Amino acid sequence: MISTLFEIFKSNMVQIPLIQPIIDYLMQIPLINFIVALILWRPFFAVVIIPGLTVLLLYLLYIVWFERKLTARVQWRVGPLEVARPIRGAIQALADGLRYFFQEAIVHKEAHRPYFVQLPILAFIPILLPIAFIPAGNVVGIKSPYAVQLVVAFLALIPITIIAIGWASNNRFAFIGSVREALIYVSYEIPFIIAVSSMIYLYGSGDPYVAVEKQSIVPGAIMNPIAFLVFIIAMLMATSRLPFEIPEADQEIAFGPFVEYSGMLFGLVMVLAYEKLYVMALLFVILFLGGWSGFYCELLGDLNAPLWLFIKTIIVISILAIVRSMYARYRIDQAVRYSFSWLIALSIVALVIGIAVGWIV
Amino acid sequence: MKEFHLDIPVEPPKELESLFLPIPREYVEDTYRKDEFLVLVGPQHPGSGHMRLIVRVKGDIIQEVIPDPGYVHRCVEKIAENRLYIQNIPLVERPSIMDSANFNLGYVRAIEAAMDIEVPERAKFIRTILAELCRIGTHLYDAAILAVFIGHTTGFMYPFGIRELICESLVRMTGARFTSSFIVPGGVRRDVDEKTLRWVYDATFAIEKRLKSFERIFIKNPTVIARLRDVGVLSKEEAIKFGVVGPFLRASGVEYDTRVVEPYEAYEELTWDIVTADEGDGYARFMVRVNEVSQSLSIIRQCITSMPDGSYISEQIGEVRGNFFDKFADIVLPAGEYTTLTEAARGTLLFTIVSDGESNVPYRMRIVSPGWLYLRGFMEALKGERLADLQAIYGSFGYFPPEADR
Repeated sequence: MISTLFEIFKSNMVQIPLIQPIIDYLMQIPLINFIVALILWRPFFAVVIIPGLTVLLLYLLYIVWFERKLTARVQWRVGPLEVARPIRGAIQALADGLRYFFQEAIVHKEAHRPYFVQLPILAFIPILLPIAFIPAGNVVGIKSPYAVQLVVAFLALIPITIIAIGWASNNRFAFIGSVREALIYVSYEIPFIIAVSSMIYLYGSGDPYVAVEKQSIVPGAIMNPIAFLVFIIAMLMATSRLPFEIPEADQEIAFGPFVEYSGMLFGLVMVLAYEKLYVMALLFVILFLGGWSGFYCELLGDLNAPLWLFIKTIIVISILAIVRSMYARYRIDQAVRYSFSWLIALSIVALVIGIAVGWIV
Repeated sequence: MKEFHLDIPVEPPKELESLFLPIPREYVEDTYRKDEFLVLVGPQHPGSGHMRLIVRVKGDIIQEVIPDPGYVHRCVEKIAENRLYIQNIPLVERPSIMDSANFNLGYVRAIEAAMDIEVPERAKFIRTILAELCRIGTHLYDAAILAVFIGHTTGFMYPFGIRELICESLVRMTGARFTSSFIVPGGVRRDVDEKTLRWVYDATFAIEKRLKSFERIFIKNPTVIARLRDVGVLSKEEAIKFGVVGPFLRASGVEYDTRVVEPYEAYEELTWDIVTADEGDGYARFMVRVNEVSQSLSIIRQCITSMPDGSYISEQIGEVRGNFFDKFADIVLPAGEYTTLTEAARGTLLFTIVSDGESNVPYRMRIVSPGWLYLRGFMEALKGERLADLQAIYGSFGYFPPEADR
């Protein structure tokens, strides 16, 4: 059975000319060759290495540091510096994570204990599942012609876990935060889905390969700028970033649904929004910025596509990080009013443009 | 929406009894019987200050807010009864450390009124500069708190950065960043030389320049305007009825400023305007203070350019350097009650000293701080607004619990 699996892994390995000699050498050693074949097996590589878990963790390290550093720069400060001074405090998030890991995770008496503890971990399922469907060139977890629709569907599951977290916390502020999360959810989800479906109409398919191929000359952002705009605003709302940081407004309701969490569990729920942002940014890059297409480097081989996808995603997220230091927080009723008036109107315009352009192209 | 009355026994949460809330049990039960619930905001809450607010909400709308002040009550009035008059000066500054010069000034003027001390012109001008510097510092501090309450962290950092210039000016003039206890009966502790005054004069322009970038990122920011406009409106009649004071009264369209009504120090000799607004909402309250900062900068510049020569302390006191306690330790005020009104940064500040005429400590000292005076107006402004507006209105009032609790 092991040999069957080994054959399966070996038949579908990622080809990277740069490290091919090392791989060839390792493939001769028993047992190590099995592990190497597993790691380089395309579906595994896509989900666990890039653009999956490993770079997700790297991205978390980077974005927390970059966001704090950028905000500090705007605000006449220095930002994180003391942890690893030579690299300007770049592993600050790692230090915070370690601190959270060894801190006591308190579960208070009123909480629904099983749900309270397991929901932060359960919330990872809808984060990680879409990554299996997001392709990067040849490196793909599960190939599906409905990948875009599936990613949107999985993203819609995340707020449900957050609302459940608020319910399990059994706290007044957590309750208010959950209600706000539900309200913001209904207000961003509709424009978001309409904007995505306008792009599906434009490309004529929900297949990322078709979408990237159609963007070989003009990126989707230029073909349908309104959908581009709606997607960005929906992304800000969905990942509760300012000016829509409403469900977890720390000055108003003290981190809303997450008010009772401490220790490792708080570390887990804190990065939820960042992970959601990562998945949405991957989808954004595929739909609007040409996906994994980019300058091809012979040495990297199959790694080219995931690398380009990752770099584009990081650039998009880094640009979005600036809004944190620019805007104040909207009120929940204002956010809902904006999204149900002009955001939905804009998304319908985007849908019309999408259908029209899709008909021409 | 139709309301359904449920006639079932209600069990309010146990912690509502154990937390020593200043509300009767019936009130809690009544709230829970209706379609409402109580949210306890504070004292350990990022958006409450050192005070508990018992907020009764129906859905997202605030029905009533009951404040529970006194969390940072430090018995300033009682401690003052056991200290020498001169030792009370550092004490009265403590309720509001940002606004120390104005508190100091109010107390010292009460002593001067009792002892009939004539303050020389130069000392008056120096005192005015100190008072206005502290006013700007307080307004910047409040603007920073308002910004962070509505989630704008850059708006929090900029005023604190600008306030460093105020602190530096105070350091150069008095030797301390704040709570300098520089104003003493009869004048000020030391003379301020020409070079230092020149530095402060230049600093006012530096502050003005930096305020422009603050205006770009925060004051004119559309999200800030959306959060503050038409929120927590107090009409002119309401503001007068609830006894709101200071910039918050002027934001409701009432032209009242103690510096004009009962002028003290050098304010009569300078030209400046009372800043008012008509809207009475959160944004007007904020803008009045923003405009007051530029008025204060202009007052400081006028003071420095027209600074008269002369002694920094009254002839009746004499030189205080080196023999400070000889001069001040045995002050005994004549029997009677002495009251002064001062326009502190957040509003009218009342100091009353009651002396029995034979002891060297006050018989009774009374401070009515502006925070305590406008607490009622603050609570009334919250009614009918949304829960998220609690922090916006809080910040727009710049409520400072240590000042109100004394």
